[in-house]
Amino acid sequence: MIPAKFDYVRPASIEDAVSALASGGDDAKPIAGGQSLLPLLRLRLAYPSLLVDVGALDDLRGVTDTGDHLLIGAGTTHYQLVHDPLIAQHCGLIAEAAATVADPAVRHRGTLGGSIAHADPAGDLPAVVVALDAALIARGPGGEREIAARDFFLDYLTNSLGPGEILTGIRVRKLGTDWGYRYEKFHRTAQAWAIVGVAALVRRSNGQVAEARVGLTNMGSVPIRAASVEAAATGAQASSAALRAAAASAADGTQPPADLHGAPDYRRHLAQVLTGRALKAAAGV
Amino acid sequence: MELEHSFTVPVPEERAWEVLLDVERVAPCMPGATLDSVNGDEIKGRIKVKVGPIQMTYAGTAKFTERDPANHVITLEASGKETRGAGTASASVRSQLEGAGNQTNVVVRTSLNVTGKPAQFGRGVLAEVGGRLIGIFAENLAAMLAAEPAAPAPAADTAEPANTTEPAAPAESAQDQALPIDVLNLSSRAWSSLRQDGIQTLGDLTKRTEQQLRAIENIGPASLADIKSKLADRGLGLAEPGDKSVARVPTVPADVNGSRPAVGRHAVPSETDSDEDLAEVTPLRPARHETVEAPAKRERAAWQPPENEAIDLLGVAGLPVLKRAVPAAAAFVAVLLVLLGVRRRRRNRRR
Repeated sequence: MIPAKFDYVRPASIEDAVSALASGGDDAKPIAGGQSLLPLLRLRLAYPSLLVDVGALDDLRGVTDTGDHLLIGAGTTHYQLVHDPLIAQHCGLIAEAAATVADPAVRHRGTLGGSIAHADPAGDLPAVVVALDAALIARGPGGEREIAARDFFLDYLTNSLGPGEILTGIRVRKLGTDWGYRYEKFHRTAQAWAIVGVAALVRRSNGQVAEARVGLTNMGSVPIRAASVEAAATGAQASSAALRAAAASAADGTQPPADLHGAPDYRRHLAQVLTGRALKAAAGV
Repeated sequence: MELEHSFTVPVPEERAWEVLLDVERVAPCMPGATLDSVNGDEIKGRIKVKVGPIQMTYAGTAKFTERDPANHVITLEASGKETRGAGTASASVRSQLEGAGNQTNVVVRTSLNVTGKPAQFGRGVLAEVGGRLIGIFAENLAAMLAAEPAAPAPAADTAEPANTTEPAAPAESAQDQALPIDVLNLSSRAWSSLRQDGIQTLGDLTKRTEQQLRAIENIGPASLADIKSKLADRGLGLAEPGDKSVARVPTVPADVNGSRPAVGRHAVPSETDSDEDLAEVTPLRPARHETVEAPAKRERAAWQPPENEAIDLLGVAGLPVLKRAVPAAAAFVAVLLVLLGVRRRRRNRRR
């Protein structure tokens, strides 16, 4: 399929990209790896008038250690996330989830920022940044601002970026060595979207769960936190039975979508099972 | 897919019933909707849906299949086709009004059926969107009714408060005139024909009359209708014969009484906006009371059945296609030569 006509610019700096986007108005879209946007263009589901290619901006790429936090550029590809030593050491959940994204070709081109800004509830990284309580950094005509990950996703494919704003990176708190993590993803074929995914983080102390955070992929129109599971798991024994019991409420209050891959009930069931597995793996039991 | 919504409007039941049946007033409340024509019970129009980067436009018809004044039930059957694809959407919308003093509670039950790319792609985008659209529609409608004066005097309807507050409108139309014709998203065949004739901007286009356009090679009735409807979307039209200045066809936007809710949340369509703005400055615009009295008679000539974007082989493949035509042309010429030869021989014989 051939996309509809669009203009294309490749700015040399983030400032140029922002001004190009702002001048392009409502129909201008940033493109980095293009792994979500290009299929939309080719299927003629999207008709942007202007594409601003931020894929060549080195400022957007790479991982920086800022003491308590890691600053990860929005243009960092999934492949780089999987293989970055800083991420592996301080925030392994991102690498684990990025490794499950689609196939190697997509992981080499697709970017962290693109995956987040696309705001697909079936995307893996949105639920991960929500579970990590990451801060998303956006640059726009009015300067830079930080958006909490859980405020970023508004609706199906809809994020809270304003006109002319692009996501430049994310800031995540380094996880200490007492944290365990797991991303459980259920899909029919290796490169498919998650039917349901669960990102779990567990901090253990003295055989108990001191803190738990659970993010759910594709259990609604936005990535969500399973607050009731987090409450039930906190203070529980780090045992198989206790964590499975805590996971029983994983689907509470969710409105999972129905599609060819599964009915809502099926997804609710999956969410409970996968949350149990993810919590157990994260707690190391 | 079954959806159910309910909303409350701050007017008595009888009044709400009247308004809900007045398509031209209700349509602007639907985010992204444009009315093309209203003919009795049949309504033709388009709806543009935007979800993140995804855009879909459906064109089609809606029909009142049930109006039960006793029980205050309205049923509307709508079906549409994607203007840029093969997808279809159909909906049956049943609204039940229940008065409670000065308020009316409206329960809207929608059964939505969507096929084609949007249905397959994105794991149920339309379920999400359908629900949201109706939610926004209900909000806008409630806001529109709330903004209206309580007394349903017709005089209130004809007042045009927006008339003096549109200083931006002329500038906007001038801006429109300078836009390249690319913004119309014409078929590549129509686009290149226009370009070859030196038509670069919307201003160039609106200076031509229908006859002049038709004289251009490759601009047939279908392309012409397409151009006209797309210009009409922007509140523009082709020049009238004998009119040297840039004339705007008196297309009347869906929103005739200027009471579009001020609180239209996100998806209030830009087309409607510009339509309205232009209408305010269009001298050719029919007087308000005429349109209110006879809404059914008014019809936009510009509406055409949704045109499938047929792939223009020559535009896409160009030379290779021409090359393929070479053997056929050669064969044709050979047959012609043989025929001529036979004829000549016969003539020679006769002599």
